[in-house]
Amino acid sequence: MSGSNSVPVTEQGMKIVGFLCNWCSYGGADTAGVCRFKQPTDLRIIRIPCTGRMDPLFAAKSLIYGADGVLVSGCHPRDCHYAVGNLYARRRLEVLKHFLPFMGIDPRRFHYTWVSASEGQLWQRVVTDFSEQIHQLGPNPGIGAESEIFEKLGN
Amino acid sequence: MFENATKQLRETVEAALPELNTVVGWRAGYDPLHMTPVFIKNAGDLSKLEWSPFCVQNLSGYLVKDPAVRAQDPSKKIGICVKGCDSRSLVALIQEKFIERNQIHVFGIPCRGTVDWRRVMKLGPLTGIQSARVEESRLVVEDANGGHTFALEDVLARKCLRCAHPNPVIHDVLIGEPVTPRVAVENSYGEVERMEEQSLEDRLGFWKKELDKCLRCYACRNACPLCVCQDRCIAETREPRWLTQRVGTSEKFLFHFIHALHLAGRCTECGECERACPMEIPVTLIKEKLNKITLELMSYEAGMDPEAVPPLLTFNPGETGL
Repeated sequence: MSGSNSVPVTEQGMKIVGFLCNWCSYGGADTAGVCRFKQPTDLRIIRIPCTGRMDPLFAAKSLIYGADGVLVSGCHPRDCHYAVGNLYARRRLEVLKHFLPFMGIDPRRFHYTWVSASEGQLWQRVVTDFSEQIHQLGPNPGIGAESEIFEKLGN
Repeated sequence: MFENATKQLRETVEAALPELNTVVGWRAGYDPLHMTPVFIKNAGDLSKLEWSPFCVQNLSGYLVKDPAVRAQDPSKKIGICVKGCDSRSLVALIQEKFIERNQIHVFGIPCRGTVDWRRVMKLGPLTGIQSARVEESRLVVEDANGGHTFALEDVLARKCLRCAHPNPVIHDVLIGEPVTPRVAVENSYGEVERMEEQSLEDRLGFWKKELDKCLRCYACRNACPLCVCQDRCIAETREPRWLTQRVGTSEKFLFHFIHALHLAGRCTECGECERACPMEIPVTLIKEKLNKITLELMSYEAGMDPEAVPPLLTFNPGETGL
């Protein structure tokens, strides 16, 4: 529980999109909430049935349109509710992580990891570390004029 | 030197034609620098069939894209002429069960490289081209102002200069002798590596500049033999609505992400997207990077083995480090 109060106070909110699998990480985030672990508030969670549902384009679109970070989390490999969904996801997301910098998008804005439903503390650490990293990187400059739309919507 | 190959191709096709419905090949286009696809149905059309370094088109898309070439008589096969790169698209289509190997008859042609007419035109504005031929390592063009000679290296398509598979991977008959590859696969990603040496900001700047030219005409997608979603392409569907009609660079970025990520681990680098692009955006480079990633992470090269499964359509539970 020692880490439960070490959340940095942030000067400005960031937009981080979190794609969490229904069976593990969403439950893990819930566990963290039930245990009242303090978490940064920059994360907007989108619940997906399985990381196998995670189209790499979800992450790409978020980053292109100016989201400051994208976090994907699912069941640990071999623990997938649907047996193998996260094993497909692992390959796709790893390819995406290597591909983003080639197009000029900072790969540090994208992170994928595995958190089970019981790992509330791990979830707290994951979300805290990633939020800190995004705050260090600052706002996503985005691609072009269209990113302004995102700003208007966000603020 | 290509008259012989054309003659041999016609003879080979003629011999096989009674067993085939249609043969897809190339014929002369509107000027000597251009070839155009041709569909040979009977022996009378055989004189149209040609092979030369101007046969740039990858014809394998005709087997799967509407209006796809279909066998009128199911007992007969469809014949198709392929270069090394084109044959890899065939393999990829066989892997994904879009075509069956035993339904096609492949005329494989070892290829020393195809001529990119845009590079020719940039080197010397030509008018009224009367003839064009490749001799050893030179391209000789005659136009209204006389003869012009170009070094072949200066006019070959970009994909040909980094070609690791000039010989058809699958074929029923081979026309001509196998060719020595220019480079090994591991060494064929020089341009990607030069991009990787740049800073993140420079790369973003490069792609902003290049992709801003994009008209979203989707010619790259239409030319791609592996873009098989047809009218269900998510770049155009209203539901789900991935792209809007806005003209911003971000929409263009997203379109090219869609095209590239849908081809990750599948693209055979035939270069049709880049050839079809009216704005001369190096779009194949994006797919080259993805192929380099799958080669490095999963030791996979697309379109080489009809029995293999593309890496992103499968998984390996024992994989570590990912």
